[in-house]
Amino acid sequence: MITFIVRRLIATVFLLIVVSMIVYAIFFLIPRLAGQSTYQLATQYVGRNPTRVAVLAIEQKLGLSSPLYLQYGRFLKAIVLGTHYNSGTSTTYCPPPCFGYSFKSQQPVWPQMVSDIPVTLSLGIGAAILWLVGGVAIGVLSALRRGTFFDRFSMGVALLGVSLPIFFTGLILLELFSYKWPIFPNVQFVPLTQNPLLWARNLVLPWICLAFLYAALYARLTRAGMLETMSEDYIRTARAKGLRERKVIFKHGLRAALTPIVTIFGMDIGLLLGGAIITEYTFSLHGLGLFTIEAVQNQDLPEILGVTMLAAFFIVVANLVVDILYAVVDPRVRT
Amino acid sequence: MRRPRTIGLAALGAAAALALAACGGGSSGSGGSSSSSSSSAAGFNAAVTTVVNPSSHKGGTLTFGSSSTPDSTDPGNTYYAFMWNLTRLYTMPLMTYKSCPGKCGLQVVPDLATGPGVVSSNGLTWTYHIQPGIKFEDGTTVTSADVKYAVERTFDRSVLPLGPNYFSLLLAPQKPAYPGPYTDRSKNLMGLNAVQTPNATTIVFHLAKPFADFNYVVAIPQTAPVPPNKDTGANYQLHPVSTGPYKFQSYQLNKQTTLVPNTFWKASTDPNAKQLASKIILNWNMNANDIDNRLIAGDLDVDAAGTGVQAAARAKILSSPTLKASSDNPISGFLWFAYLNTKVAPLNNLACRQAIEYAANKTNLQTAYGGPVAGGAIASTVAPPNVIGQKSFDLYEATTKPNGDIAKAKAALKTCGHPNGFTTGITYRSDRPKEVAAATALQQALSQVGIKTTLHGFPAGTYYSNFAGVPKYMDSHNIGIAFGGWAADWPDGYGFFDFITAGDTISPAGNTNIEQLNDPVVNSDLNKMASTTNATQRNSYTAQIDMQVMKDAAILPEVYAKSLLYRSPNLTNVYVQTYYGMYNYAVLGLK
Repeated sequence: MITFIVRRLIATVFLLIVVSMIVYAIFFLIPRLAGQSTYQLATQYVGRNPTRVAVLAIEQKLGLSSPLYLQYGRFLKAIVLGTHYNSGTSTTYCPPPCFGYSFKSQQPVWPQMVSDIPVTLSLGIGAAILWLVGGVAIGVLSALRRGTFFDRFSMGVALLGVSLPIFFTGLILLELFSYKWPIFPNVQFVPLTQNPLLWARNLVLPWICLAFLYAALYARLTRAGMLETMSEDYIRTARAKGLRERKVIFKHGLRAALTPIVTIFGMDIGLLLGGAIITEYTFSLHGLGLFTIEAVQNQDLPEILGVTMLAAFFIVVANLVVDILYAVVDPRVRT
Repeated sequence: MRRPRTIGLAALGAAAALALAACGGGSSGSGGSSSSSSSSAAGFNAAVTTVVNPSSHKGGTLTFGSSSTPDSTDPGNTYYAFMWNLTRLYTMPLMTYKSCPGKCGLQVVPDLATGPGVVSSNGLTWTYHIQPGIKFEDGTTVTSADVKYAVERTFDRSVLPLGPNYFSLLLAPQKPAYPGPYTDRSKNLMGLNAVQTPNATTIVFHLAKPFADFNYVVAIPQTAPVPPNKDTGANYQLHPVSTGPYKFQSYQLNKQTTLVPNTFWKASTDPNAKQLASKIILNWNMNANDIDNRLIAGDLDVDAAGTGVQAAARAKILSSPTLKASSDNPISGFLWFAYLNTKVAPLNNLACRQAIEYAANKTNLQTAYGGPVAGGAIASTVAPPNVIGQKSFDLYEATTKPNGDIAKAKAALKTCGHPNGFTTGITYRSDRPKEVAAATALQQALSQVGIKTTLHGFPAGTYYSNFAGVPKYMDSHNIGIAFGGWAADWPDGYGFFDFITAGDTISPAGNTNIEQLNDPVVNSDLNKMASTTNATQRNSYTAQIDMQVMKDAAILPEVYAKSLLYRSPNLTNVYVQTYYGMYNYAVLGLK
């Protein structure tokens, strides 16, 4: 097991390097191949009607004029060793992983991302628990009560959940519960450590909104999985042995049905940033999602790079965890 | 002209674009009828010409929301209009705009200075005296050296790249060129020779050539004093040292700024700002639709970006008499227009350009920009009505025949030797839906007189640097028409016209005189404006230049941009500062 994890970790590092090269090429190489000069790139990061001197100064400062492999090397070096930044009056050290220096805000990227992580984690973990518990529970109940009103109703709602985009459900929730009947007024992030109650209250709507989309999918998947396993021979055997129904369902039925859920759950956690972008944008929560939107709007390449690397890291780690969990959930893959 | 770029989140309601809107509402903006509510004086457009809810009540937390992040909170490094408006809360530049509604708010008045600059007879030396006893938030007294240092900082474009460069353009050059205080650490950081501080309250600017609008230049936040020993360069944005009514308590970069009263600020020395709220919170980077809804729900007090509500809220406000009575529709100071390239055939022929002026369907263009409320009023002049000295005239029947005059257009085509029309290119920013719609509308209108056009859309990020702003590109690709927008850095005619019409501003890249106009009359009027210190005489050139540019048909004006602002009923002392076309953020209080 340990060699497996170590092997996967090494592969992870290589994967991240490849991702960083691709992202770097997309943002720094392709514009050059398309004929954009670094001078033109630099003009995007100065005020309007800049003088030539002003643009050259910023081109120099951002290191845009040096060869690409050097720039990429500096980028990698900063991630591993950290780097020094000159703010004009003093030089500050940016410790690893220093994802560079934002072209727009003239501040290191990593500390900004660090301050955003708690928001996205709070949103993501809360929503994940909600959708996993809710989705699986509804799925199991639906499967056991196949064909009843409950089954049809919950599957109908699930279909709705899969079909409705976050920005739609988000706006409806906000309109009803924040603007019209202010049960959850003025949604904003309050750190968990500062006030757990306010933290939860402010996140209820975003959680529901984000979880609704996923829960629907999980309910349908669980239902299908349960229906399949419950008709397997070994379930009949278990019942014939005289096991209590509860044990049959949870120990023998659900456990097998959960395997695909765990895979998808792992992937979804890794990809959560995608859903977080829209949720955070809808609710104006200052997490990594909103950070990403702002980075793209400002064409702030180091910020885009940083957030892409972090997202890639999460996905790779989530995959690793899924592989390990497989072995825990499903005895059949324990080899 | 420079606006934060937006991405295509159309379904989410794209984040509001903001602009350096340097002019503002003006009395002409208040055409609408009064609201149905008779209990208070407030109504639709009330805050354009009057102060709504005047009060000196203190206390409360004033909350701003902004759909964008600031370019910088450093007064020396910002070029966004709403940031210039907000910096008045924590800075005192030498001059500022008088805090009052209507045309009164276009006046430039002393702020940190005791009076307007005293100019020498040759026009090259401007002397300001600063008020004695003005203190920074830490209690130290502001001296003229702090102002000089603030000006020096703007020379280092690698540390402060985002603000205007007027000082390096206008001040007398020195050899070797002054690199800014971060490189030139000598002479107590006072190495800029063109600015002298003979004593602690006097500051003298030496210019390279006469520049009569210099009082406007020192009204830019870049002259707000910065204590050299507190300057942290690129990090100064995190805590600018305040001289205004509020100071930074905390700033989470691009998320939230909290301002608290500056105890060393005195109302008597700064009549253009107020210290009413006991706390001000600025929330950055919020969803634009969310801001509108929170404003209407009362969770937010002001939309800081000041460019107006989104489409959803606009529909809501305009359909409800109560909400409409709490809104204003000022002119923002922005002109949306098309440059008609005077150098590319056949538009190098005046009559061919006039044909375009006549043929354009101004109503359809107005609709493309969002209609009369969100888009703006149909424009017949280059300068919007709130530029000082602007006079309205209409050479091409823009307002009398807003659907275009086909007969006159055809006659003009005959004069220019292309009776059956010609072919040219139109360029525009493809990621600006309004501009795309306007380009298509113009293409359609021109096709009715036989002018065939090809559309060349480019992303906003590189539009000026690589395409429209590169004369060689425009000429070699036969692009005669380029869409754009413009607002001046200060509200007089020179500020508006110099960059977009002066012959000597034509440059090979990042060109702002995209129509490549080099008209001796315009050039000489602009030169006279730069050297005439008498304000009345100077401002009289504005209408002359405007008329000449329209006679040259070098610009096709489309709309004087307007925006629909929602005025929260919780606010006191609300009015549109005409110079910004948004509420004056320095004087707001809460009920």
